[in-house]
Amino acid sequence: MRQRSLRLRLLVTFGLGALVLSSLFATLTYVGVERLLVHNQQQTDLRQSYVNAALVRSTLYESPTEIPSLLDSIEKSTSSNVLVQTHQQWLSRSPDASTSDVTALIVANVVAGHATHQTLNVDGRVVFVVGVPIPSVETQFYEVFHLDSLEHSLRVLLLVLTFGALMTFFLGVAGGLWVSQRTVRPLEEVSEASVAIADGALTTRLVVGHADREVQQLTDSFNRMVTQLVDRLERDARFASDVSHELRSPLTTLTTTASILQQHRYELSAAGQESLDLLIADLSIFRSLVEDLLEMARSDANATSLVLETLPVVELVRQCVRSAARRHSIEAPPVEVGADVADPWVRVDRRRFERVITNLVDNAHRYAHGAVAVRVARAGDQVAIDVDDAGPGISLDERDHVFERFFRGRAAHDRGIARGTGLGLALVRDHVQAFGGTITVAESPDGGARFEITLPIVPEESK
Amino acid sequence: MPRILIVEDDDHIRTALRLMFEGEGFDVDDASSGEVGVALFSRMASDVAIIDVMLPGMTGFETCAALRSRSDLPIVIVSARDETADVVLGLESGADDYVTKPFAPEELLARVRAHLRRRPEKSANAFTLGDLRVVPDEGVVRHSDGSELHLTSTEFRLLTNLAAANGKVLSREDLLEHVWGYDYFGDSRLVDVHVRRLRMKIEPDAANPQYLVTVRGTGYKLVL
Repeated sequence: MRQRSLRLRLLVTFGLGALVLSSLFATLTYVGVERLLVHNQQQTDLRQSYVNAALVRSTLYESPTEIPSLLDSIEKSTSSNVLVQTHQQWLSRSPDASTSDVTALIVANVVAGHATHQTLNVDGRVVFVVGVPIPSVETQFYEVFHLDSLEHSLRVLLLVLTFGALMTFFLGVAGGLWVSQRTVRPLEEVSEASVAIADGALTTRLVVGHADREVQQLTDSFNRMVTQLVDRLERDARFASDVSHELRSPLTTLTTTASILQQHRYELSAAGQESLDLLIADLSIFRSLVEDLLEMARSDANATSLVLETLPVVELVRQCVRSAARRHSIEAPPVEVGADVADPWVRVDRRRFERVITNLVDNAHRYAHGAVAVRVARAGDQVAIDVDDAGPGISLDERDHVFERFFRGRAAHDRGIARGTGLGLALVRDHVQAFGGTITVAESPDGGARFEITLPIVPEESK
Repeated sequence: MPRILIVEDDDHIRTALRLMFEGEGFDVDDASSGEVGVALFSRMASDVAIIDVMLPGMTGFETCAALRSRSDLPIVIVSARDETADVVLGLESGADDYVTKPFAPEELLARVRAHLRRRPEKSANAFTLGDLRVVPDEGVVRHSDGSELHLTSTEFRLLTNLAAANGKVLSREDLLEHVWGYDYFGDSRLVDVHVRRLRMKIEPDAANPQYLVTVRGTGYKLVL
């Protein structure tokens, strides 16, 4: 499904809603008001025309010579143009009055004796023409009203309504922003907090005291969930740590007594000696397992046991490779440093970093006839540390799993190799992640496996 | 025959350790509490001591401090706790070494032997650090007014080894090998805590050392 932004949708809904509603309202208002105004104006003009026509008729009866001055006064008082046709002759006073304003249709109607009125558009101007027949003196009275002022009012109205609609639209957008902020922000906070918690910041909580009850409920239940989750994690870690702690004392006795037996091995029968060898071999695995479990419990339980130092990576890797080789009495693989590496510094826990390198070098020794090289290269603002071997490699389907706790690869099964604890690579990954780095497994240029660690380089200024 | 004092409250571990060290030719005195251990030490004058941290009554750290106040013998702390804070606390109480349970018996044995083997180096020349005169031949450090500054044998070896490097940087690994005599049991915290302890004694301002300086990422060097 295509993902859409809730924030954007709220904004668009509010904006468009406001726009549609305000446009509709403005249009209806405009149409209504226009009709009303035009209608009123026309009624007034009609009445005025009949009164004027009556005046013309009486003047024609009583003193026809007064007609021009009458027409003048009519035009002045109503700001219209008056045309009178009497005995087929047009009379008009104002210079801009023209018979063409009065269409043949109106004339025909009026001559036929029907009072007529019509709205016309003459040269871009809207005029209202009223024709009144005065049959008793064979005269037709026409009055042409200009609707300019009405048009002007309507234009002003249109402007006001458009402005109002725009304002409403912007208010709608602002409202949408406010509402989306109000509803989406808490969601974003939950999402940010979840990401932080997933990344290991277990003390993250949402801020309580939100004004909206629903949001407050969400906040409370989210915080409760995280607290319980953390409790549970800590209980699990504590359990593992407690169990391992309890195992330490008996295990110490066991390993010590086994080593005493070893001093006396030649007093034992062949079967006794073989049993002793098995005992000692498995005790050694048992001891590594307890140590690994404790280290794992420690790195699970708290980040406070992490002692971070800023160190030059090349020298650090060299030292770690040397001490890994000594610790396991194996030949140290060469450390190859890329030409572009300069001397980047990284922020790590020295002991844990040493553990990482030791485990990888030891693994290569155990499963792949030893590491071919440990290569340090720069990758942007990261430094890549590759432990390469020329062994059988790790198949694609196993690559995702090698860092899981107690995962055992087929290679180890098939070849009956001395067993490890199954925790080594899981610890390696935990440690690397604690330094803010990543570890992946791929194919090495030497045909075997490549374990690639990347660590962020500490910027020059914050060294 | 070297004489070893084992202070451990767990009967099984204590017995196993006694058997192992006896089998390796040690004279073993064992005690199940710090109080008994200190009393035994006063009578027996042990050459080396192994002290468990979790003891009833007097703790391992207190026992360690009590022995240290009486003697320079090498003391190895044995603990079920591996947190850096615990290691530091143990070493601060005067121990020379720290081993975490469950340890490999051969490792403990090798460490104890290494401590017994080492003697102050006679070869180094005397040198001066500000107000202090270090005389490796006599194994003493004196203030300019003639009064003696007491260093444990590990501290003294650390100082003379750094001096013998002639201003060159020594890595933690180098120091573990030279001072503690370890080939592969290295725990860099051993070096760090001892350096700090030594600084408290020889530096005018231990927080801003001018003689025993840290070369970050590499190790330590002595500026004469």
